[in-house]
Amino acid sequence: MKYLLILIMSISLYAVDLTIEVKKQVDTLPSLAIEDASINYDEGFKMAFFKALSADMNVLSRFNVDKHRIITYFNASSVAVENKDKSYVLRYKLFEDDSGKLNVETKLIAKGTVKFEKKYKISKKSAYIFLSHAIAYDINKFLGGDDVSWMKRRVVFAKIVAPKKSEIVIADYTLTYQHTILKGGFNIFPKWADEKQTAIYYTSLSSSKPTLKYFDIRTGKITSVASSDGMIVCSDVNDDGSKILVTMSPSSQPDIYLYDIEKKSFKRLTHYGGIDVGGQFLESDKIVFVSDRLGYPNIFQKSIDGNDVEQLVYYGKTNSACSVWRNYIVYKARESSNLFSKNTFNLHLISLNSDSIRRLTATGINEFPRFSRDGDAILFIKNYKNQSAIGVIRLAYNKNYLFPLSSGRIQSLDW
Amino acid sequence: MKKTLLSSVAIAVLFFAGCSTKEPAVDEQQTQAQEQTTSQNGGEASEVTTEQVSSDMQEVGSETNAVDTAEQMIMNLQKKLQTVYFDFDKFNIRADQEDKIAIDAAAAKAAPASLKIKLEGNCDEWGSDEYNFALGLKRAKSVKEALVAQGVESERISMVSYGESNPVCTDHTKECWAKNRRVDFKVLP
Repeated sequence: MKYLLILIMSISLYAVDLTIEVKKQVDTLPSLAIEDASINYDEGFKMAFFKALSADMNVLSRFNVDKHRIITYFNASSVAVENKDKSYVLRYKLFEDDSGKLNVETKLIAKGTVKFEKKYKISKKSAYIFLSHAIAYDINKFLGGDDVSWMKRRVVFAKIVAPKKSEIVIADYTLTYQHTILKGGFNIFPKWADEKQTAIYYTSLSSSKPTLKYFDIRTGKITSVASSDGMIVCSDVNDDGSKILVTMSPSSQPDIYLYDIEKKSFKRLTHYGGIDVGGQFLESDKIVFVSDRLGYPNIFQKSIDGNDVEQLVYYGKTNSACSVWRNYIVYKARESSNLFSKNTFNLHLISLNSDSIRRLTATGINEFPRFSRDGDAILFIKNYKNQSAIGVIRLAYNKNYLFPLSSGRIQSLDW
Repeated sequence: MKKTLLSSVAIAVLFFAGCSTKEPAVDEQQTQAQEQTTSQNGGEASEVTTEQVSSDMQEVGSETNAVDTAEQMIMNLQKKLQTVYFDFDKFNIRADQEDKIAIDAAAAKAAPASLKIKLEGNCDEWGSDEYNFALGLKRAKSVKEALVAQGVESERISMVSYGESNPVCTDHTKECWAKNRRVDFKVLP
């Protein structure tokens, strides 16, 4: 009873402040085995789906997932002998229907009883990974877990394929599915333009002047929003998509501007002679941004209408990127005194309501953090040796997951 | 109570909303360039079939010479302009780079005023964020201000930052990173 009380207190405390690190032991998690009852498809595809589902269930961070694939019949009356002692068994059947669509039937079994059942269908077999994400999302929701809507969202990223050459790609968060939507030029910093992910803003460096463009993915139509000598980047989009924060330099000076989509008007928010970039909306009337006004890049805030600037971060030597969710800020920091040591850039989490700070990564170059819309997870770019990967941090579970890119280098991302 | 749900519509909407563009869009500038090339080729083929008289051929020849001369001027200036290098996380002109600035300014002033100069700011691999792009821009701006101070017309100079995305060296060494922290010159007609 005493231990139960401590556990409840820990969870309650944790729910209040995400900057406090809590480690949960894998052994204490309920066990989960996955049984494959698929028909129709070849062994390679069946195995790919099993691995995807296994990875998704693992990322939920609420199960100790058995990595062994057990073959069975979907309507077998009991779970496989090997899985008798498992807390949960997830059984699924892949099959192709008359119209060629990929179907999946699933059932979650616990203590010999089917607790949850659902059927899924998708027309493009190559997009199977989204079925896997949907299954994981539904099971997590059924079991009362934290919202993991971010699993079903799409990631957009720019990939550098050669000097001054890039592609913009839409993918799932594991990079299993990738769809190139823009190629053949130098286009970077893609940013979803709305909550429904139907359009993106991006920077085109193929024109004579850097140009901010809007790409309606449904129609394929691309329009120019604004251009600026030097640089122009869409840093953030507000919740309803009506306003965006833009870093640009019309007079050769990088500053942050607020752009009203409907009025097509810019309002300059910073006037510092050095570097002000990377504006992020904080509530409805403030921004958080990166500035070198102390002689090195660090994180500051200011109100949209006022001039006073407040320093937010007091740890780290080169804090050159950040992302905001409610009162939490995740930022990139160089910690080592040696400019070029191997352990160079890590992500840290702070709360505007407390003084605590939490280090989120340990090795390599970790950058470009982006909170999920619900604050449950942080997506980031990890560059380690010569490989680029997308990382997912589950804040509530203190777990990081990496999904490497097979070729090219990820320049920037959004989800 | 068991409850079976069919969620195919939801999944289809989830995934395919926003993915109607099955083929990737091609960058507009690239498309324009390709179209231009095709048009020129078509023009040349047409001239051969209509057997242009000699006077027309001379006009073509004189235009070619004019183009050659303009291209030659661009190439001559491009050869003289020297890349300027910077320290880590800095955008001030180093003392050992000031001689290059003087050479660059002299070359720009000696060249025809019609030739424009684009300053391309670049950074090392330590960061792909906006800050790195701004750093590249500030480096380009430092070079621009130094050139203007030495008499080059401000209107002739434009700038762009490529951040870390345009490396000339891809090894993970201090020497290589130093080569990438630079401002390049690109001469435009």
